Amino acid sequence: MPEGKFCNKKPVDTAEGINELLSDTSGNDYYKEMKELEVDSDLLWKTIQNTVKSRMKTWLEICAHCGMCADSCFLYEVNGRDPKQVPAYKIQSTLGEIIRKKGKVDNEFMRHCMEVAWAQCTCCNRCGMYCPHGIDTGIMFGYLRGLLYQQGFVPWELKIGAGMHRVYRAQMDVTDADFVDTFEWMVEEYEDDYPGLTVPVDVEGADIMYTVNAREVKHYPEDLAEAAILFHIAGENWTVPSKGWEETSLAMFAGDWAACKMQVESVYAAMERLKPKRMIGTECGHAHRATVVEGPYWAGRKNGQPPVESIHYVEWLAEALNTGKLKIDPSKRIKEPVTLQDSCNYIRNQGLKKATRDIMKHIVEPGFFIEMSPNKEHNYCCGGGGGFNGIGLFRKQRNIALIKKRDQILETGAKLVLAPCHNCWDAIRDLEEVYEIGIRWSFLKPVVVKMLEIPEHLRPEE
Amino acid sequence: MFKKILFATSATGASDHAARVAFNIAKSYQSHLNIFHVLGVPSRGYSQVVVDVKTKERVDVDEDYTAWVTEDIRTYYEKYLDESLNYTIDVAVGVPAREILRQAKILKPDLILLGGSTGDEGESVYKKSSLGSTLQKVAKSANCPVLFVNRPAASFWGGLSNIVFGTDFSKISDKAFDFAMKVAKTLDCELSVFHALDISALHAGKMLNQDEIEQQIRESLRKIRSRYEPRLKELKGYSMDVWEGIPFIEIVKYARDKQADLLIMAHHSRKISSEDIRLGGNVEQVIVRAGCPVISINK
Repeated sequence: MPEGKFCNKKPVDTAEGINELLSDTSGNDYYKEMKELEVDSDLLWKTIQNTVKSRMKTWLEICAHCGMCADSCFLYEVNGRDPKQVPAYKIQSTLGEIIRKKGKVDNEFMRHCMEVAWAQCTCCNRCGMYCPHGIDTGIMFGYLRGLLYQQGFVPWELKIGAGMHRVYRAQMDVTDADFVDTFEWMVEEYEDDYPGLTVPVDVEGADIMYTVNAREVKHYPEDLAEAAILFHIAGENWTVPSKGWEETSLAMFAGDWAACKMQVESVYAAMERLKPKRMIGTECGHAHRATVVEGPYWAGRKNGQPPVESIHYVEWLAEALNTGKLKIDPSKRIKEPVTLQDSCNYIRNQGLKKATRDIMKHIVEPGFFIEMSPNKEHNYCCGGGGGFNGIGLFRKQRNIALIKKRDQILETGAKLVLAPCHNCWDAIRDLEEVYEIGIRWSFLKPVVVKMLEIPEHLRPEE
Repeated sequence: MFKKILFATSATGASDHAARVAFNIAKSYQSHLNIFHVLGVPSRGYSQVVVDVKTKERVDVDEDYTAWVTEDIRTYYEKYLDESLNYTIDVAVGVPAREILRQAKILKPDLILLGGSTGDEGESVYKKSSLGSTLQKVAKSANCPVLFVNRPAASFWGGLSNIVFGTDFSKISDKAFDFAMKVAKTLDCELSVFHALDISALHAGKMLNQDEIEQQIRESLRKIRSRYEPRLKELKGYSMDVWEGIPFIEIVKYARDKQADLLIMAHHSRKISSEDIRLGGNVEQVIVRAGCPVISINK
């Protein structure tokens, strides 16, 4: 069976290739072609033999089928407790099966695996916390996605997204020049309000190197201005790299391992070139996972760390508030019931729950912060993680997945949801659009900018 | 004067009155008119899906769709688009205020003309997550004068002969005055300089007696004379007045009284209010209420 024009095993690595894929609206032809796509079983089995290490082998072997993971999975809960949504079943019936069959699986089975890997698991890793053996299905699904990508069984949007990283080293078609221009434009727009506001580009030896999400540059550039304002008011010595500024990785969602490496190496190269003391990434969860937590392994870094200390935006913000670099005007604190979305990627998976709670203490009037239940490392995925948000083919499943977060928010009674993660922010935005529960949502930056006490010497002349 | 005009429009009934003024100005002054439409907000994370602001449908934006929307706009404004008009149509995806400002950055127009918002604000796909309205953001950040036509009554425009300039004696008001002078001179108009003495906010809780009010009015008039009159003499006709009251109401009343064709004011609100437009600042209030087009200047 043939390789398709759009759907094939070859990654997209030219701008023309991306445009061609984009011209296939909604991936209609792409998915038609996928039905004809041949499975290269030899390659699949060879890849498995080379990459399935002892941890994954053990996990697949020792699963006792106890079912403890069932209740930990929000997709199991919101899908009528369907046994087919039990994490252990989901991974055993896909990755487990491919391995048992030594890669000899057919096209239909691979398409089934694609649906399970992208529409029945958001790689939130919650099940791994509840498994008595510590088996993390999310990690195994991340791995399965890599196998599927290699064989061409990947959702259309993610093939494009991974291609964007290959071509632009960014998740969207934003060039390095676009990034610097947009940042400068934003600073220009706000410099009257914040005299002395600048965006220092490519400064060597700064205390902070700041990296962003390309979507901020493309659609929400106020976020860049807000980041600049907060660093400026805090008196930080910061910079942005003109190359290697994109922290996110749709390649990680897609399972495009080679593109993951290319992307993260571009950020590490910027760190090595500019030698900042620390790197701080924007309010994004998966970007942090990709660049700070998993990236070092993709890049083959022996110590498992990025070239310089790298922290999440909430860690910097908590530090700035705790040390008094940023001061909040108490009269401007949030005085309405407000809740907080814990992002799986840096709360559950990196333990930053204290940072976000510290921030809430500073910006919310005592008594108005209402925790979701459960919360912190036990919190549920927003419903759109792991790439789920953007995949048109699985929109229906994604909308069902939002129900858990909707109900958690409703239970708090809060009308304002702070979501310091792009993916969560998107999912919560979409859940309001789908279910209309009357909430507002926000990143932290715009909220904090509005309640700052600005030191006299930084105020505009009246 | 207006060589290049950027007309940002929803291409719906909400922008009809603004469109009438836009096409009128473009034709009267042989301007190049860029008709600019932001067709929707990006949705669904990194996906290609956009919620179309007109149809409210979720669509995949590709070249075909953009071409279709462009054609739709051409059809919508068909009656205005004759050979005498020098125009282009551009369509973009994104948050409207930001995309309008981005387009202005590229085009560097002499004037931005902002159409009305799309239909019912509560239902607008833009509304909920954006802080402040398109109007506020564009008025605050644009690098050129921004012209608003909010009420249908403001759009029955027969050319320019009477201009009202509202001042609060700020530095930016001086910039706005420079612009008002330029328009009045170039187009040979009369210019009325007006200041409203705010008796609501300045003295909350304290009722001024009429002697005090009139004393302040005299002072403000003196200020207008010393600040603006020497230059006003360059014009064929001018007047200067100070009224007391709630400023935005007084300005609207004054413009009506003068049968003004255009109102010019400075916009210097530092913070964009996240409140509803009805609670916004003076300029926003004037824009919403005026019976003639309003130009806001911020730098």
